Amino acid sequence: MSFTQVARSCGRFAAALSTVRIASAVVQTQSRMLHRIAVPAMGTQLTQKFTMRNYSARNTIEEIEHRVLKVVSAYDKDSRCRWQTQSVRSYSAKPPLSLKLINERVLLVLKLYDKIDPSKLNVNSHFINDLGLDSLDHVEVIMAMEDEFGFEIPDSDAEKLLKPADIIKYVADKEDVYD
Amino acid sequence: MSTRRQAITLYRNLLRESEKLPSYNFRMYALRKIRDTFRANRMVNDFKEIDRQMANAKQSLELIRRQVIIGHLYTTEKLVIEQTKTLRPSDD
Repeated sequence: MSFTQVARSCGRFAAALSTVRIASAVVQTQSRMLHRIAVPAMGTQLTQKFTMRNYSARNTIEEIEHRVLKVVSAYDKDSRCRWQTQSVRSYSAKPPLSLKLINERVLLVLKLYDKIDPSKLNVNSHFINDLGLDSLDHVEVIMAMEDEFGFEIPDSDAEKLLKPADIIKYVADKEDVYD
Repeated sequence: MSTRRQAITLYRNLLRESEKLPSYNFRMYALRKIRDTFRANRMVNDFKEIDRQMANAKQSLELIRRQVIIGHLYTTEKLVIEQTKTLRPSDD
């Protein structure tokens, strides 16, 4: 280490010391002044805290319990609304089917379909020739049957079901109903 | 597969897929639009026009499929008209 370097580092050390001293002096004065300012502020904070405590202590346990339960029940209702938008699934079995019941249900669905004239409707009336439906209506009739009986009818089978009697027979075969 | 059968299959798939839309307004609009459009173009004989309409329908089917998924991600509460009336013993 050369002489100049030693001198420079000594100078740096001295400068650092002096800044520390100045800084400490500033801190001292600042803290002294802060102390004077801070005392009344602390006093007001303390009084506020005491009033708050008094207020909360006035509630009885029953009141607090009531309030908490109310909040909890409100939260439950809210979360139920938010998450249970889909309908509840029921796990009960389907009612047993008979040929007569299938017959009634098929005819009811067809009667409720607005393009079919209920007076012309018969078990053996042809959808397209007798009832005046077109192929698009026929698709909708088959879809209504799928919804009614709760299973899917593939296209290849759907185009053969041209009379209510065909539908009744098809549904009975699918659901294993023979009487 | 003949064009007629293709069209019927497409019609069925469109209706089936539209029924899955969770939002009432979108669902009803889609069903109405599909029925009306198919019925309006029932008598089209030009092959080019048929191909164009079929391509359009296929594109719409894809759109509805995507929209079903997106709709299920952001479901809202059902509208009042959608709620089926439940009969309670006190109602009769």
